[in-house]
Amino acid sequence: MKTLVVTCHPDPSSFTAAVAERALTALRGSGDEVRVTDLYKEGFDPLFTAAERRRHLDPGSDPTVASHVEDLAWCQRLVLVYPTWWSGQPAMMKGWIERVWVRDVAFDLPPDSNRVHARLRNVRRLVAITTHGSSKLVNSVEGEAGKRMVTRTLRAVCHPLARTTWLAMYGVDTSSAAQRTAFLDRVQRKLSR
Amino acid sequence: MDVLLVCAHPEAGSYTHAIADAAARGFGRAGHDVTTLDLYNLAFAPAMTMAERAAYHTEQPLLDPLTVEHAALVRHADVLAFVYPTWWSAPPAILKGWLDRVLVTGVAFRFDHRGKVRPALTHVRHLVGVSTYGAPWAYVKVVNDGGRRMITRALRMSCGLRTPTTWLGLYSVDTLGAAERAAFLDRVEHELARLDPVHQ
Repeated sequence: MKTLVVTCHPDPSSFTAAVAERALTALRGSGDEVRVTDLYKEGFDPLFTAAERRRHLDPGSDPTVASHVEDLAWCQRLVLVYPTWWSGQPAMMKGWIERVWVRDVAFDLPPDSNRVHARLRNVRRLVAITTHGSSKLVNSVEGEAGKRMVTRTLRAVCHPLARTTWLAMYGVDTSSAAQRTAFLDRVQRKLSR
Repeated sequence: MDVLLVCAHPEAGSYTHAIADAAARGFGRAGHDVTTLDLYNLAFAPAMTMAERAAYHTEQPLLDPLTVEHAALVRHADVLAFVYPTWWSAPPAILKGWLDRVLVTGVAFRFDHRGKVRPALTHVRHLVGVSTYGAPWAYVKVVNDGGRRMITRALRMSCGLRTPTTWLGLYSVDTLGAAERAAFLDRVEHELARLDPVHQ
């Protein structure tokens, strides 16, 4: 399966980086064709500009994100790896979505309509791998905004039968080394299938 | 009361800016002092840097003069108000980045001796969100309004669970006429003028 992995963490020695490494090991081991985008490493600019905003009405993506658009249209499986901050994706990843998943790339918006039509029909699997500082209970009360964004809002512009996988570690701030190792093993196991 | 109004839209003449102006008028009518942060105009950098991440669990997590200044405003605020367009069920990256980089340890929360998060925004008496949505109301409810939850739940947990919240949303904004847009501006001004007035 053609798989695009998008990772996002400012620190290359972070646990998120270790999770991404494990995910890549599993995907490559199962013979997938894998492309990787490390947003911080490549210095991606997450700022959605006024010119890009105007393209929402006069569609098309910014030429500076052309390679990202190409990767997104190429993949059958999209894997997002990031830490959850304030119950959502870090601004860096949110900016990647805003700038790359634009009109005429991710969705069509017919004139005088306010319903988006899916364009990323090539994406049949959506996987989110994330860590939360606080517990699962706290995150449930807070409403899991990041989870729902991936499994509902992003999924809505993918293939109509796209499957979503949510791999999350809760309470990472207070976790033991053994718990973190167990999560890495879980990520590898799930992505090796 | 001191109101900190945070506004996020790339175009200076946007409808979002008109909403922020209406909100400021409303707060002003009730006798509150409003400080507006126009994040795009301030060229706020959305992405938390590696140095900031490294300092996150220290006594000095704020490394940028702009985030230091904004954190000081947050500490003095009685009302936090956010005005933004909802994109992909969430606030724009620049506003998400403001939450990531300004609302850090010692500003929005602190860790207790067991490493659990404790609220630090207990001085905030009201949380306000005003947002526009391209999608209709029903679609927003189905896919879930993550931005609203981020502010009225995640951020509220750092204020105190009894902190009142006000949410004003304008749906299907791309297909609305000028009259409906003007009516929403009036509604924003009116609702926020009634919010906890000074003379009460």
